[in-house]
Amino acid sequence: MAPIVRISNLDKYFGRLQVLKQVTTEVAPREVVCIIGRSGSGKSTLLRCINFLEEPSFGTIEVDGLKVEAGTRGKEHRQLVHDVRLKTGMVFQEFNLFPHMSVLENVIEGPVTVKRMDRAKALELAEENLDSVGLLFKKDEYPNRLSGGQKQRVAIARALTMEPKVMLFDEPTSALDPELIGEVLNVMKKVAKDGMTMLVVTHEMGFAREVADRVLVMADGEIIEDEKPDQLFDKPSDPRTKALIDRYRTGSG
Amino acid sequence: MRSDSTTAHVVKPALSQADLLYETQQRKSRQFRRNVGLSWGILLLVLFYLFSGQNFLGIKTIHLDYEFIQNNMFFIAGGLGQTLIVSVLSITLATILALLAALGRLSTIPPVYALSTFYVSLIRGTPLYLQIFFFFLALPQLGIVLTGLFAGVLALGLNYGAYMSEIFRAGLASVGKGQREAAMAIGMTPWQTMKRVVLPQALRFAIPPTGNEFIAMTKDSALVSATGFVHEVMWRATRVGRAQFHNLEALIMAAVFYWLMTLLLSYVQSIIETRLSKGDR
Repeated sequence: MAPIVRISNLDKYFGRLQVLKQVTTEVAPREVVCIIGRSGSGKSTLLRCINFLEEPSFGTIEVDGLKVEAGTRGKEHRQLVHDVRLKTGMVFQEFNLFPHMSVLENVIEGPVTVKRMDRAKALELAEENLDSVGLLFKKDEYPNRLSGGQKQRVAIARALTMEPKVMLFDEPTSALDPELIGEVLNVMKKVAKDGMTMLVVTHEMGFAREVADRVLVMADGEIIEDEKPDQLFDKPSDPRTKALIDRYRTGSG
Repeated sequence: MRSDSTTAHVVKPALSQADLLYETQQRKSRQFRRNVGLSWGILLLVLFYLFSGQNFLGIKTIHLDYEFIQNNMFFIAGGLGQTLIVSVLSITLATILALLAALGRLSTIPPVYALSTFYVSLIRGTPLYLQIFFFFLALPQLGIVLTGLFAGVLALGLNYGAYMSEIFRAGLASVGKGQREAAMAIGMTPWQTMKRVVLPQALRFAIPPTGNEFIAMTKDSALVSATGFVHEVMWRATRVGRAQFHNLEALIMAAVFYWLMTLLLSYVQSIIETRLSKGDR
């Protein structure tokens, strides 16, 4: 099947520091790809380049047929980036719910303000998605009344309500207390099962092994391995991957 | 044993350690508040006594002309409306200017950024008193004649706007980068992000300090009396005080009115603040 996300020769510099080096990869529709790697390996930057929260320095990003060349400027480029953002949903490590809006307002904000969707229709869609993350009963609460796990589940519902083609997860469980991680991972599994294309930057090796179709390992701004999870976790070929996996094994016991 | 015969022996559940500690804490804070209130009362009494004109233990206190006070009290209080009008108009102008200046500081367009910093620097680098006179006395030389009220409001608004731009700048800075990114990720334009996500949070942050500025402004509005054409509290106090050589009484009255007004406004502000801090933050 034709890939839905295509990343070609992507370079990213922060000042003089090169954090992505000629990254090239593809994601097929309905595929779940986990990206692992030590902090500073460039995995979050790669994810954020896909929806241009970080502007890549060189290379191209293609999402569902929209091809954006890095380094271009102007109105046309801005329109392309905007269209790419409509095709991608993003879930952040720090949730980033809007604190001045209720749960329901958070979820309909995108459809109503950005897509100019009819409010009644947005509400219907929002309630459906809140229900599927198990938080419809919290729809009138404000985010500060929710636990971290609940906030992240609302954030996932918010992203889903934009009806994206691809979901990007940037360490979605890293800011959570250990006992709240499971509920978020379960929601993500459900999203995957429903056939969503997902790119997940994560430290949760169990999740990667169980849910991912492919696991990318990043180190020093490069993809050093691209394997099926069983192969990768059982027989890592690069010593850096082996060290990374071993560290989590001993770390989580 | 039948149960009703034991009713006399029902033991009240003993207070737990935590309850006792909590009780003690509560009692202490109640005592503190009560003693502060008491001390305020005593200080007020001392102040009243100082102006009572009584002789006590050889301490001569200040004698005020109560007839003058009675005759002019309502005249001076009549300026409260003007004081409030000047303050409300000025704070409105100041808030708009402060917000524009703060947004200008975020701009990447050099002339806009420069205009914002230029305005703040120029206004903060010159005295408010001078600015009021400039608009009222210097502009007519150029053929621009402003009424006292208009000149005063313009000067106060411009002046407070420059200082308050820092409040709004802090308000905008208080909204984290993650909020902007979340807005951008769902496809909001920069303008939508500002209007729907950043500004509502920044303004909420800015409301309490803006209240403080408003209270400060009700007092600085007294400077507008210098134009001689705005009949607010200070103007009225100096007018009757000078004319009848009773500046002491007149100024004390004005001081009392300003004080009462700021107490009232502070109270209103504290209500607004508790309402803001409750619930959805």
